[in-house]
Amino acid sequence: MKEIFKLAGILMLVTAVASSALSIVNNLTKDEIEKQKRKAVKASLAVALPISARNAIHPIKKGDKILYYKGYAPEDTTRLNGYAFLAIGKGYSSKIKTMVGVDTTGKICGIKIISQKETPGLGTKIEKIDFQEQFKNKIAEDLKVVPKQTAEREGGIGSITGATISSKAVTKSIRIAIDTTLALIRAEKDNL
Amino acid sequence: MSLFNEFSKGLYEKNPVFRLALGLCPTLAVSNSIENAIGMGLAATFVLVCSNVIVSMMRKAVPNKIRIPIYIVVIATFVTIVDLVLEATRYELHKSLGLFIPLIVVNCIILGRAEAFAGKNGVVRSFVDGLGMGIGFTLALLVLGFVRELLGDGKLIGISILGEAFKPVLLLILPPGAFLTLGIFLGLFNWIDIKRSK
Repeated sequence: MKEIFKLAGILMLVTAVASSALSIVNNLTKDEIEKQKRKAVKASLAVALPISARNAIHPIKKGDKILYYKGYAPEDTTRLNGYAFLAIGKGYSSKIKTMVGVDTTGKICGIKIISQKETPGLGTKIEKIDFQEQFKNKIAEDLKVVPKQTAEREGGIGSITGATISSKAVTKSIRIAIDTTLALIRAEKDNL
Repeated sequence: MSLFNEFSKGLYEKNPVFRLALGLCPTLAVSNSIENAIGMGLAATFVLVCSNVIVSMMRKAVPNKIRIPIYIVVIATFVTIVDLVLEATRYELHKSLGLFIPLIVVNCIILGRAEAFAGKNGVVRSFVDGLGMGIGFTLALLVLGFVRELLGDGKLIGISILGEAFKPVLLLILPPGAFLTLGIFLGLFNWIDIKRSK
């Protein structure tokens, strides 16, 4: 019996030391991690909504959750000129998160893939600039994935060779996000 | 055994990946590019050295019956520290290593060295052993990452080397490529051994 208490006591001592060490490290790094996350979001907003002023993109929240961002014009920061929001889609091997920016008519201003863990060398090519540039100036209905050559002739999003699933996942998630967010914004306006 | 030998055994004679075949899970998973290999290797080396030192320091106070849970607490603590510090200072690298950092906890090289070495040897020797094993692990990841990134993507450290005309062997950066490359290297090292002992 005595031995059990001794062993439990030692184990408790070790875990107590370990957890106090961790709480110190957590305290030291907490703010920096928050800052890095905010920086990453801010950088993606700048890419998604280049038409808005960098410091005039404000989150619209419901509780703690950010529904979307409102962007205001650089020359007049009281004039609303675009919205940005997150599109999340299931890719080949991961959730793909994309920041999408649209102007007030619903035309895409820019997109930025924020996080993805697709197949290295194939699916990860969705992060390439040329792929993301294709979304510019399109509206939700234009977002269809077609072979690359067709996209050049007839419009649409040219798929990445060997990564059709990832290309389609990004495109579909953006289409859905635009539709739902714009519907949300319209509903809010009607309520006013 | 001299201190230097204690260090250098991890590099070749007892290389954790190629000779002891330990820690193969992270080896297979993050050896698809040199950048990932370095990040994972250094993070694991840091944890290995720290856990070896602490385990060695506590070795006389730790009762035999509960040594494994204590080792795991020590290792998990250092892994969490690495995880937090990396996220705060190297946000991009932390994102690309993702899930593999928490998985260092179950990297059997670390528990293996705690059990087989640090629990029985002095602090200095354990430190040197951890350093050697960690660098050996990093080197193994680097060798595999070099081959897989070069042939599988035509690049090194993200810079195109082989040019547009080279058609990358995609299989090599996919999971089967990890098994193939590792298998070839294990065979190569065994072959060198057999040659030498003759």
